[in-house]
Amino acid sequence: MLHSRRRGPVANAVRLLNRRCCQLAALVLMAPMFGWTTAATAADTINAYSIWPENWARPMLQEFEAATGIKVNFLRFSSGEALARVIAEKNNPKVDVLFGGPVETFAAGIKEGVFEPYKPPAAAVLAARFKEADGYWTAVADDPLVFMTNQKFLTENKLSAPASWDDLLNPAYKNMLQMADARTSGTAVTRIFSVLQVNDRDEEKAFAYLKKLRGNVQLYTKSGGGGTLPVGLGQAAGGIFFIVDALDTKAKGYDVVISFPKEGIGTSAEAIALISGAKNADAGKKLIDWATSPAMQGLFAKHKINFVPAHPEVKTEASLAEVLKGAKIFAIDDAYAGANRKRIVDRWVAEVLP
Amino acid sequence: MAISAQVLRPADRAVGLTVVVLWLLLALFVIYPLLMMLSVAFLDGGKPTIAPLIAVLAKPSHRAALLNSLLLGGLVGLFGTALGFLFAFTVARGNLPPRWVRVIDAATLLPLISPPFTTSISFIFSFGPRGLITHDLLGFKGTNVYGLTSTLAAEVLTYFPIAYLTLRPVLSGISGNLEEMAFSLGSRRLHVFRTVTLPLAIPGLANAVLLLFAASLADFATPLILAGNVFPVLPTEAYLQITGLFDLRGGAILSVMLLVPAAIVYLLQRSWVARGHFVTVTGKAGPQSSIRSVTPTARLWLSLACAAVALFILYLYSLLVFASLVSAFGADHTWTLRHYQVIFTEGRKAIVDTLIIALIGMPLGGLYGVLVGYLIARGPAGGRQAMEIVSMINYALPGTIVGIAYLIAFNDPPIALTGTALIIIACYVFRYSPAGIRTTIALMQQIDKSLEEASRSLGARSAATFRRVTLPLVMPAFLAGVGVVFIRSMTAISATIFLVSIGWTLITVRILENMTELSLGPAAAFSVFVIAIVMAVMALLNALLRQLPTATGEQMQWGLGGG
Repeated sequence: MLHSRRRGPVANAVRLLNRRCCQLAALVLMAPMFGWTTAATAADTINAYSIWPENWARPMLQEFEAATGIKVNFLRFSSGEALARVIAEKNNPKVDVLFGGPVETFAAGIKEGVFEPYKPPAAAVLAARFKEADGYWTAVADDPLVFMTNQKFLTENKLSAPASWDDLLNPAYKNMLQMADARTSGTAVTRIFSVLQVNDRDEEKAFAYLKKLRGNVQLYTKSGGGGTLPVGLGQAAGGIFFIVDALDTKAKGYDVVISFPKEGIGTSAEAIALISGAKNADAGKKLIDWATSPAMQGLFAKHKINFVPAHPEVKTEASLAEVLKGAKIFAIDDAYAGANRKRIVDRWVAEVLP
Repeated sequence: MAISAQVLRPADRAVGLTVVVLWLLLALFVIYPLLMMLSVAFLDGGKPTIAPLIAVLAKPSHRAALLNSLLLGGLVGLFGTALGFLFAFTVARGNLPPRWVRVIDAATLLPLISPPFTTSISFIFSFGPRGLITHDLLGFKGTNVYGLTSTLAAEVLTYFPIAYLTLRPVLSGISGNLEEMAFSLGSRRLHVFRTVTLPLAIPGLANAVLLLFAASLADFATPLILAGNVFPVLPTEAYLQITGLFDLRGGAILSVMLLVPAAIVYLLQRSWVARGHFVTVTGKAGPQSSIRSVTPTARLWLSLACAAVALFILYLYSLLVFASLVSAFGADHTWTLRHYQVIFTEGRKAIVDTLIIALIGMPLGGLYGVLVGYLIARGPAGGRQAMEIVSMINYALPGTIVGIAYLIAFNDPPIALTGTALIIIACYVFRYSPAGIRTTIALMQQIDKSLEEASRSLGARSAATFRRVTLPLVMPAFLAGVGVVFIRSMTAISATIFLVSIGWTLITVRILENMTELSLGPAAAFSVFVIAIVMAVMALLNALLRQLPTATGEQMQWGLGGG
């Protein structure tokens, strides 16, 4: 019965193919073992983990490629993930540069011994908080946190934009706030250190506040910007985000309001660092030189990226400066944050998250 | 018959060699990673310890995650099976026109071939404080979209097609004549349904519940988006433990907690399948009497219920298509193709990487499935069952476990594979080939051994017999295996999210990143692209299947479990 069936042309082709099937499969099996298993290691290519979302990282790294001819392969991770990867790969680094991301992540990385000190030329003119004393990292931008709320929600609930940390405890926000999860996100860590700072580093007071805030939180997101879209859509009422994500939400057309607490809110320098044992260290250094200089930071405005430049010679773009006017913003002490990051995050996971 | 003795002829080194090579591969890519994971979880400086396990269990959130996972799995099993039964019963007993059956098949196929997150994304938009359905349509205020209910609903919609595919042949296999006899003996319809149809379907129902339970237990994507912080489940907790805190041991222990229920379900399901379905012995098959086990009114209601579910599924997907075509969903609804432009320029690496990985994995997975299936069905008697069990392990285990085990096993020498394409390909081949294996075994049981015997008695060796007689006959299984590996390469995330690297990334991982970066448009565009390409490849493979001399028309049991 099996033989009598009609044989199509494809069946014949398949039959022919069968003969070579085993040899072919063996070849295919070998192929990925050789040659192209690793990312390119040519001198004019760098591998990087980017903590900046692709929307920011890609245009910048493309500009770098256009300016220098050096290609950057990059993969984006939230800061916790990126740091975890770099630590895991310590004995056999897969990337040359860790690009973007709040400075406390880098401070924690120094403790793990994953960075190679390198002082780019720009470091000489940078303010002290924008560079690590021994050159383990250098800042490429400054990124304050903000409160972002949905305008429609405010109107419907007859609220004005939150102007104090305690405003976020208002029962009107019950189950309506979204912000990042400290296990993965650097935004969350900066937020928690901001709360510590406004409570004069009194951990008991700070955690009491964080636990109260928990009652109003609908969701802790994996990524720092994860809550921006829900807030934009009104699925959440508001949250705490980096200004760069908040202004992007607004620019996309979502009706959101940006405000600052009167007690002050933290800003985190965004940094770049050379990975210890980097295979393309020289090209990596060129990227660090470029990113810490006006060459890159002068392009923020062109690409509508609302980071505050770290380099003193680059002017903050006018509309961004307008938003920041009058806001009380303090820098997170990176030494304190780096030294306490793991303990504070663990405590947050154990006490606040459940 | 002394066939197996003949296969073992010492001259037939090819078979022996294949067995050895396959066992080496299974040892390397199935057993070794699992043992490494267990050793990370339970060994401390070479000494066995359960202290870390106790430490993990001491955390209330982890205990809650275990209970939540079991609860969610159980509920998905029950509701999903009920929904699958509704569809299967309507199709098998509803006398629907073939056209409608095709529509139902298409609607139920969609969730099976979609990338993860698709239903979850649409759920977020539809429900919640400003959801299109809860707020805009129904006017509810302050609804919450995160938690058990929405996770359950999204998983039921994603996985009920598995129950449908499992139950449809079961119900079709129950002869209508049997029900007819009960009618002619004076039974009422509901009574017939309760005392004849349902009992005969029970093994199938139990099987479906277990399959869905396992799929839900393994699901990582849906809870990541929808479960929120109030309803943590094990796969997502293990993921956060590893990616965020790089706590391999913690992740390994959470995985072991997941392993226990998964193993129990697997063993239960094996014993159900081994026991087989009830055989409805009715003597001569005879012409089917027209099925009248449902009244016309009941038929109408059944059809309407199915149509409503199918429509809801289509609604969820059209929302996704819409989001991929407008500037900024919810704020700026100008039509644009920009997101597609983005995925083919900025996202090109992910697409190319995924396709390369899929294209290499396809022939390997197909061949591996056919070889293992052949050896299980016809190979040397010793070790057949062991090979069957071992070859199913990576499939039966939740992807999170497999991914974590691979990460632990292959991160450092002696076998450092992280960062390569090979580790992702191996993960797919050894995880998603069981469909090909199962189909091969089923086909081999239908192929008369005399065919191969004849070849051998004419002097051909096993290898030649296999290549020239058996392989063409099991071609449908090869294609089924190829198809499943392809679909999974395009849609799976739970295991491979741990294995992507700077050199090799995947579309599904990009979708997740996009969703967390306010890049909803590209996420939706990627999803639509994946669905389109998977459908195209499936259509191609089905066309190939129809051309085959041995095609019997129903081999495409895609064997699609959890992502």
